[in-house]
Amino acid sequence: MFSFFLSSVPDDLTPEEQKELENIRRRKQELLDDIQRLKDEIAEVTSEIENLGSTEERKNMQRNKQVGMGRKKFNMDPKKGIQFLIENDLVKNTSEDIARFLYKGEGLNKTCMSILNRKQFLWSFRLPGEAQKIDRMMEAFAQRYCQCNPGVFQSTDTCYILSFAVIMLNTSLHNPNVKDKPTVERFISMNRGINDGGDLPEELLRNLYDSIKNEPFKIPEDDGNDLTHTFFNPDREGWLLKLGGRVKTWKRRWFILTDNCLYYFEYTTDKEPRGIIPLENLSIREVEDKKPNCFELFIPDNKDQVIKACKTEADGRVVEGNHTFYRISAPTTEEKDEWMNSIKAAISRDPFYEMLAARKKKVSSMKRH
Amino acid sequence: MGSYYSLIFSRLFPKKQITLLMVGLDAAGKTTVLYKLKLGEVVTTIPTIGFNVETVEYKNISFAVWDVGGQSKIRGLWKYYYQHTEGLIFVVDSSDHDRIETAAEELKAMLAEDEMRDAVLLVLANKQDLPKAMPVHELTDRLGLHTLRGRQWFVQATCAVQGSGLYEGLDWLSDQLSRR
Repeated sequence: MFSFFLSSVPDDLTPEEQKELENIRRRKQELLDDIQRLKDEIAEVTSEIENLGSTEERKNMQRNKQVGMGRKKFNMDPKKGIQFLIENDLVKNTSEDIARFLYKGEGLNKTCMSILNRKQFLWSFRLPGEAQKIDRMMEAFAQRYCQCNPGVFQSTDTCYILSFAVIMLNTSLHNPNVKDKPTVERFISMNRGINDGGDLPEELLRNLYDSIKNEPFKIPEDDGNDLTHTFFNPDREGWLLKLGGRVKTWKRRWFILTDNCLYYFEYTTDKEPRGIIPLENLSIREVEDKKPNCFELFIPDNKDQVIKACKTEADGRVVEGNHTFYRISAPTTEEKDEWMNSIKAAISRDPFYEMLAARKKKVSSMKRH
Repeated sequence: MGSYYSLIFSRLFPKKQITLLMVGLDAAGKTTVLYKLKLGEVVTTIPTIGFNVETVEYKNISFAVWDVGGQSKIRGLWKYYYQHTEGLIFVVDSSDHDRIETAAEELKAMLAEDEMRDAVLLVLANKQDLPKAMPVHELTDRLGLHTLRGRQWFVQATCAVQGSGLYEGLDWLSDQLSRR
C-alpha cells in the first residue's frame, strides 16, 4: 500500500514541491518504522503490565526505582547517593538507617549466613577501594547484619572482621596486581580467634574461600537496555492533564516516564499507550495557562514543526502526533516540579554516551574472558 | 615484536616483586600517591572489588602497593600481609597539625608489629604545597623518628597531586631493598 502511495506523485507540483513531498514521505516511512519498533517493544512488556494492579504496588515500584537510582548515584559518588536517598525520604539520616539501606537487610533468611548475602551486598554496590572507606562500610554492614540475624555471630566485631577478611581475600585472589595468592590454609589462619577469641567453623571458612575463588565479586551489569523493565520500573508515573493537539481540550491521562520516553494511557490498566512522546531533541519549560501547574514540551528552535511522536486512534490505528507542543497540567505544584525534574533528567541523558559506555564495558569484559 | 622479546626477557629474568604497604590517616593522600605512580598507564580493566592494589614497575623492581588501614580490630588480619612486606610507606598530611600526634601513634603501632621487624620505612611528608605545611625536620621530630632503633627510615617531602617527590621516595626504597 505504501509503495502505491510513493508512486503517485501528483504531476502538477514544481520540482521543489515534489522533492519536499518525497522528503515528507520518507520521513513518514521512518516514523512508521519507529512506531512499529515501539509497538513490538510494547508487546513484549504487555504481559508484565497486566500484573500491575494496585496503586500500592505502583508506589512500591516508584520507590524501588528511586532506590535503584540512589544506588547508581551511590556507585558514582557515595556521598551524593546517600544525599539523594535522604532527600527523597527513602532513607533517614541516621547511620543505622543508611546501613539498613546499604545492606537491604529486610526479609533475609536468618538461619543462613550464606555467602550469597555477602555477594548480594557487594553486588549492589561498587565498594570503594580505599581501606578506610571499606572499613566504615563493613562496620555498618556488620551492625545491620547482626541486628537482622541474631545468633549467627558471637558479636558484631566477629562479623565485621570476617567481612573485612573476605574483601581482602577477594582482592588477593582476583586483583591481577597481587602475585602472592593466599591458600585456604592461610585464609583460615588469618581468621583465627576472631570469634571473640574463638574460631569460626573451618567448614564455613573453606566454603567462603572456595566460593570467592570460584567467582569474584562483580559489579552488577546494568546497561539500561532491559526492555522488560520499560513500564515495570518507570522513572515516574501519575495522572496529568494534557491539552489536545488539534482540538484544544484537556484530557486526563495516565503518564509514564521511562527510557527517555513519555507514554500516556487512558486508564492505568490499559495495555497499549494512547500516545508515545520520545523526549530526544525536546525542551521543557513552565507556562501559564487557565489550568494550574502547567509545563510544556517543545522543540527548542521551533518553526511550527510537529513534534515527532505518535498516538493511537480510537479505531486502533497508530498515527503521527499532531502537536507542535505538549502542554501538560499537574494536580499540584509539587507534582509539577517533580515531573519537570524527572523529564529534564531524562532529556539530558545522552544516549550516545550511554551506548559508548555500554560498548566499552562489553569490550573490556570480553578481554577478560 | 618488541613486546614478544620483552616477554621472553621477563621470563628469563623475572622482576622481583616486592610488597609494600601504604598506610596513613584518612585524607593523607594515599589514593593520590597510588594513582599518581600509575600515571600514563591506561586503566582498561574493570576494577576488582576490594582494596586498591597497584603494581608499580620502577628500576627493575616491581612494587605491589596495598592501600591498607582501618581500625585496630582488623590489624590482626593485615599481619598476614606484613609477613611478606619489605617496606612500609607512611603517608602523612604535613598541613594537618591537629592530627600529627594521632598519625605518630598510628605509625608507632604499625612498626611495633612483630612482622614489620625488617621493613624499611619511607615517610611521605605530603601536601608540602599547602601554606601551613610542616617542613621535613619538624615532621621527623613530631613523628618521633629519631627514637627509632634498628630501622632504616627516610622522610621525603612530596606533593602527590603534582606528583613531585614520589619517584625520589621510590629511589630511596629501591636503593635500600636492592642492597638486601
